[in-house]
Amino acid sequence: MTQTEPTTKETGRANQRRAEILRELNAGKPSTARLEHEGSIPLGPAMLVQKYRLGNGLTVLTSIDASAPVVSYHTWFAVGSRHEQAGKTGLAHLFEHLMFNETENHPAGSFDRTLEEAGAESNAATWVDWTFYHESIPRDRVGLVIELEAERMSKLVLREPQVTSEKEVVANERRYRVDDDVEGAVSELLYKTAYTTHAYSWPTIGWMADIEGFTTEDCAHFYRTYYAPNNATVVVVGDFRERDLLSKIQKAYGGLESAEIPVEDAKPEPPQSEERRLSVKKPTATDKLAIAYHGPAFGDVDHVPLTVLCEVLFSGRSSRAHRTLVQQDEIATELRGWVSTFRDPGLFEIYATARPGRTSAELLVALDREIARVVAEPITLTELEKVKAKVELALVQSLETASGKAEQIGFYHTVLGDPSGAFSRLDAYRRTTRSDLLRVARRYLVAQRRTLIEVHPETGSDERG
Amino acid sequence: MSEVDVSHATGDVEVARPSHTLANGEPRIFVEDSRALPLVSIAIALRSGASSDPVGKEGLTRVMVRMLRRGCRGMSSHEFEETVDLLGAEISADVSSSVITLHADVITRSLDRVVDLLATMMAEPTFDEVEIGKLLRETQGEIVEARDSDRSLATRHFRRLVFEGHAYGRRVGGTIPTVLGLTQADVRAHHAHHFKRGNIAIAFAGDVREARAAELAERLLAALPKGRPVPSEIASPERHGKRRLVFVDKPERTQTQILLGEVGSHPRDADHIALHVATTIFGGTFTSRMMRAIRSERGWSYGAYARLPYDKERDAFSMWTFPAAKDAAACIALELELLQAWREKGISARELAFAKRYLVRSHAFDIDTPQKRVHQRLDVDLFDLPADYHDKYIDHVQAVTLDEANESTRRRVSSDDLVVSVVGTHAEIGEAVATAVPGLAKVEVVAYDAE
Repeated sequence: MTQTEPTTKETGRANQRRAEILRELNAGKPSTARLEHEGSIPLGPAMLVQKYRLGNGLTVLTSIDASAPVVSYHTWFAVGSRHEQAGKTGLAHLFEHLMFNETENHPAGSFDRTLEEAGAESNAATWVDWTFYHESIPRDRVGLVIELEAERMSKLVLREPQVTSEKEVVANERRYRVDDDVEGAVSELLYKTAYTTHAYSWPTIGWMADIEGFTTEDCAHFYRTYYAPNNATVVVVGDFRERDLLSKIQKAYGGLESAEIPVEDAKPEPPQSEERRLSVKKPTATDKLAIAYHGPAFGDVDHVPLTVLCEVLFSGRSSRAHRTLVQQDEIATELRGWVSTFRDPGLFEIYATARPGRTSAELLVALDREIARVVAEPITLTELEKVKAKVELALVQSLETASGKAEQIGFYHTVLGDPSGAFSRLDAYRRTTRSDLLRVARRYLVAQRRTLIEVHPETGSDERG
Repeated sequence: MSEVDVSHATGDVEVARPSHTLANGEPRIFVEDSRALPLVSIAIALRSGASSDPVGKEGLTRVMVRMLRRGCRGMSSHEFEETVDLLGAEISADVSSSVITLHADVITRSLDRVVDLLATMMAEPTFDEVEIGKLLRETQGEIVEARDSDRSLATRHFRRLVFEGHAYGRRVGGTIPTVLGLTQADVRAHHAHHFKRGNIAIAFAGDVREARAAELAERLLAALPKGRPVPSEIASPERHGKRRLVFVDKPERTQTQILLGEVGSHPRDADHIALHVATTIFGGTFTSRMMRAIRSERGWSYGAYARLPYDKERDAFSMWTFPAAKDAAACIALELELLQAWREKGISARELAFAKRYLVRSHAFDIDTPQKRVHQRLDVDLFDLPADYHDKYIDHVQAVTLDEANESTRRRVSSDDLVVSVVGTHAEIGEAVATAVPGLAKVEVVAYDAE
């Protein structure tokens, strides 16, 4: 749920002006192209997000930031690897690659070429819950981005040679990120083992056999199913004139028809009742250990306190686990913890690298000791204050560029339906108490609900010095 | 002062190197003020780096810098870390061959306390012997762990050969024997050598006005001794004039990491911007020649890039790809063809016009935050760039002619004087890779875990 701005005399006037602009823009337009203003949403103490919707369902979120003569334009689609089926994993990600190809009015290669010529930075990303495309461009060229993005939302041309070539590219990306990367391979195995039913069990990049097996028709079907204005959100942050921007968006997207987005065949993960443990060998010099406890969804009230707990244990050199395992006992080289930021319940992940000659068993004993402490007794007030300060800094850092702001707005809107969710979450961090942490530690850090992957060197740990 | 470019025997003249300190020997301060966010970024840069490590003590500069946050007057290592976190700050350090940079990001309300903390950290580190021992062993673990990264391995061996016998070819982090041999006395002496007021430049970006920045800079440096900049020990790197291949042998590689390149150029070279523009066409964008031929047309590699970075002296021009093992030899052969064609036939007028439009328009993103703007000014000072390198960047790019772009390529890029660094499984593709590079003067096969 979004919090809208309380009406004051000034915002009242702004709303009136906005209503006049929309009346003018909507005059004589078909229903798919009619723009509605759905609210002004405060983004922290100094910024505002305006929320609009086109008649065809496209959500448009805008925020003016004149600190640099640039505009960042993000298009978020509510489709990710969770919407795939077994045997067709990796399709959302492969499709993201294909979106940079030919359209009805632009030959293959011209999308990137045209944007580069305009001085734009562009890229895209796919994950479990979403796919997003982003461009940052000098402010006088924003119309070009709008035209290109609208075109590829509905007029993409898929041909066999491009699909074949892009499958090879993705296979190589997979080799780079997973097959030849110890941590990438372990992470994939961790999710596959921790989830037995939910779509989070397969990797977003897909299994190699599935990547190799995709047909052009698979891709075309995926496009027709999920790439529609009513499954997308456009986020625009930067130095632009609102009326001019809305007019261009209306012109470019207003003719697109909405689609019937299929009901997701959701398969909730059943509770895990026994610890799962695997041991693998890899061409690496040292032992590694990956642990995953089942955790809450990103929107769950427990997510913030569990994230705080993760920070207390693993964030930086002053964290508990770092002090014990790296500095005091000298059994680990590297430690990381993370709580999945997924729409459905995710994982509390831990990844540890052993010092040469030390073992994953030693890592586990030491980590279990730290976990047992946070389950048994409250953390200190200092530890809590430290995390709150770090979280505030991280949020401010993320807002330094127009692109950073657009990403925060797009991510929180797509996953939680709240464009200002980053600030709502900061408030939640500030409200978090030590009791909250004790509650979530006892609820989630349960050995029976965890998965362990131990990694051992293929040739023993007799590292050469 | 001007220097004649000897190593490339081109006869062009380098522009003058700027003075690093003010007339009174005090450090330069750079400020980019912005009220957009309650955030201040501070960079404290020293004009000396790992090239000053004595032979046999490689890694010393990096260890010394990392020790700064492991205890200082009145604070243990843990107390220091906890204070930084509580203040809503981040402090990090970066060590390269030629520069040491301490960087802090801080919420405005804690600026004063972070400045005092940085000042104490720089001037009064304790260099506790027990903590040094811990850091040396931690570094040993990190060196072993770095072998998991194929890209790091390719880069390490690429630089070792391109800069053979030069400071840029040495490992900034050291090797296990050199790191474990370091002592408290080494660390103390090295700190005293580098941390002098005249060896430092400071940059502030964000929520801080110029007058306040000057006052904060004085507080940062108050307890440091006066002193001139540490003389640079980095010579201009020389080419070796032959093709060399290093194959880093690692088991079970389904993919290869490949770097090809040689000594590049420096902004002091009169033709640097021309080569920068030509490199943009060759491998600097998503639609470059390399990307089109290797990724778009053949699907061989997820990425295919050429880079021309700069440092205090000429850094390496490099081409980077990572094809499947089965395509490695063919990919290298194709890269050599592309390189040869670029050198012999040059770029076209149309390509030049495209590159100019891209570089000029995208320049907005080189300066869209106060931190980026201030770092450009800092770079001019640290890397001896021409004074107007960034300020006149757009004009310089616009002024490049087709002849200049192609002449710079012919002059600086050679397909004969080339290092090829490959990480893969030698038993499976070693022979094919060596065959793909004709005229090799030297082939090395090294184990991935060899120090």
